[in-house]
Amino acid sequence: MLYSPTTIKECLQEWEALEKDYQQVQETHRLYRQKLEEVSKLQDSCSAYITRQKKKLKDLSASLEQCRETLSPEEVSAIEEIQDHIRERPNVFFEMESFLPKKNGLYLSLVLGNVNITLLNKQAKFAYKDEYEKFKLCLTVLLLLFSFTCRFVVTYRVVDALFNFLLVWYYCTLTIRESILISNGSRIKGWWVFHHYVSTFLSGVMLTWPDGRLYQMFRNQFLTYSLYQSFVQFLQYYYQSGCLYRLRALGERHNMDLTVEGFQSWMWRGLTFLLPFLFFGHFWQLYNGLTLFRMAQLPECKEWQVAMCGASYLVLFMGNFFTTLGVVYHKYKHNRSKAKGL
Amino acid sequence: MSLQRCQAEWEEIDQEYRQLQETHKVYRHKLDELTNLQTLCSNSVSKQRKSLRDLNYNLLRCLKTSDPKESEQIKAIQTQIKEKQHVFFDMEAYLPKKNGLYLNLVLGNVNVTLLSNQAKFAYKDEYEKFKLYMTIILLLGAISSRFILNYRVTDEIFNFLLVWYYCTLTIRESILINNGSRIKGWWVSHHYVSTFLSGVMLTWPDGVVYQMFRNQFLDFSIYQSFVQFLQYYYQSGCLYRLRALGERNQLDLTVEGFQSWMWRGLTFLLPFLFFGHFWQLYNAVSLFELASHKDCKEWQVLMLALTFLVLFLGNFLTTLKVVHQKFQKNKGKLGKKE
Repeated sequence: MLYSPTTIKECLQEWEALEKDYQQVQETHRLYRQKLEEVSKLQDSCSAYITRQKKKLKDLSASLEQCRETLSPEEVSAIEEIQDHIRERPNVFFEMESFLPKKNGLYLSLVLGNVNITLLNKQAKFAYKDEYEKFKLCLTVLLLLFSFTCRFVVTYRVVDALFNFLLVWYYCTLTIRESILISNGSRIKGWWVFHHYVSTFLSGVMLTWPDGRLYQMFRNQFLTYSLYQSFVQFLQYYYQSGCLYRLRALGERHNMDLTVEGFQSWMWRGLTFLLPFLFFGHFWQLYNGLTLFRMAQLPECKEWQVAMCGASYLVLFMGNFFTTLGVVYHKYKHNRSKAKGL
Repeated sequence: MSLQRCQAEWEEIDQEYRQLQETHKVYRHKLDELTNLQTLCSNSVSKQRKSLRDLNYNLLRCLKTSDPKESEQIKAIQTQIKEKQHVFFDMEAYLPKKNGLYLNLVLGNVNVTLLSNQAKFAYKDEYEKFKLYMTIILLLGAISSRFILNYRVTDEIFNFLLVWYYCTLTIRESILINNGSRIKGWWVSHHYVSTFLSGVMLTWPDGVVYQMFRNQFLDFSIYQSFVQFLQYYYQSGCLYRLRALGERNQLDLTVEGFQSWMWRGLTFLLPFLFFGHFWQLYNAVSLFELASHKDCKEWQVLMLALTFLVLFLGNFLTTLKVVHQKFQKNKGKLGKKE
């Protein structure tokens, strides 16, 4: 309202004006519901098309493979051309499907039910990804402060338990958000997703480890390690964001690429300094695993948590180390073939 | 298949693919238009709401200094304003909205508004099936832990399952509230309290005091899962019947308590519920006794005692209120008859 109506007459006039606006709102809403219907139909039609295409391509691929065996070289090259085209299609479908509503995977279905979490335009997806990265950064700083407090300021099992609960909650939330991101077209692969589940499990087991001599023996090592890990994760997210931003501006990376707790191929351009920090963290995980295995063999060790944590740290070490090594090896080979090319 | 047939097939597929690309392009375009319309709608609805609220306020002021004829006019307008607010609430159930704090923390700003009545109803239906299945699993888990397996490890797994179950319920209920379900107060909070309770149970180390309470806790869990199963099973049927009669909202849910609509056929559940509440009180009292035991060094005992007490008070008083309301209503009806 442009003024505050004080007399009845003015109120009535205001009411008339609002009535007109209300008609407008109803009209807009009607249009909206109509468009919603149209869009729904288009969604169904697109999804049906894609499913059909996928099936037909699968059948055709099989037939082409069968054909191949009985043909002349030039015919074989015709087949290979078709097969090349077929190989490109899944990428296009993946991209299309990231804008179509779809059934949630098992994990999201269990946690959220069948609410659709597909973000339907590029800005929304990007904003969601951005928020995910801010979330990781904020929580990492929080975990850093918390582990510092537990290590140097307070020494109570209760506070440790709270810290572990926070870790469990943090990793669970990450798994949920990453599932949503994958559903929206992010290509986070294999180990970098799975290792959050392993971390959730590890923190959960740490949670149930009762206070005692053995717990006190491991506690400081664990908290110092958490401190280091939070610090390195902070470095990673901070520098990776900047690097990704630059690369996206150059058009060299996909919009939905994320910061991860590891080293990926695009990080050679400016983030190589992170590698020694990462490897040191991995070897610390190995050291944790070995310490726990040694503790598990002590005569006074009655807790199952010790061996279980030891095994988990070992899994984390192997996954992290070999995945990162894979990237380094890949780069090494790439450089060698480039050198040969020259 | 021969090469020619393969190539013909390929041509056909490629043709369809081009059609798909066209359709998808149109879809993306319409999607952008839709998003714009959504924003336009949301903005105009909130603007109207605000204007109507301000107008209502000014009309109230005018009411004090008006003559009877004008008062009538004002009252008529106020009624219409109230109706409009209802219309806006319904409109907004189809427009995306920002998530509350809890959903924002867990999911981020992904939109969880389901945009059609069937989708909302299907989601609610699924939520109720989820509760039913998980209750059965928890019942079996509690029975195995109580009578078959006697290890702290399996107790831990059972407790983790409880924590996960209650957390998931809180997430799903937040989504339902976002979609127009009217689940109120205690029936939402008590899932947060239950999550906390199970979390504390989780950290309770094995020992003399733990073993003293363990069996009572598992017996209670068995009873509670059984009663919850009864509730969900019978409530679903009752809700279905009432919805068919048009007497309840589509999005009303089964809950772990007694609600006003349950007088019609589910009164038999009340004694079971009250017995469960008093068992929670008994748990709290036992834990307070254990806390003053000479062997007891664990903080969990006292914390659990307090939590069970909170659960008892919340459950008992909320249910008692429903009974009291019914009692008042019946008295009122009797009064009228006479």
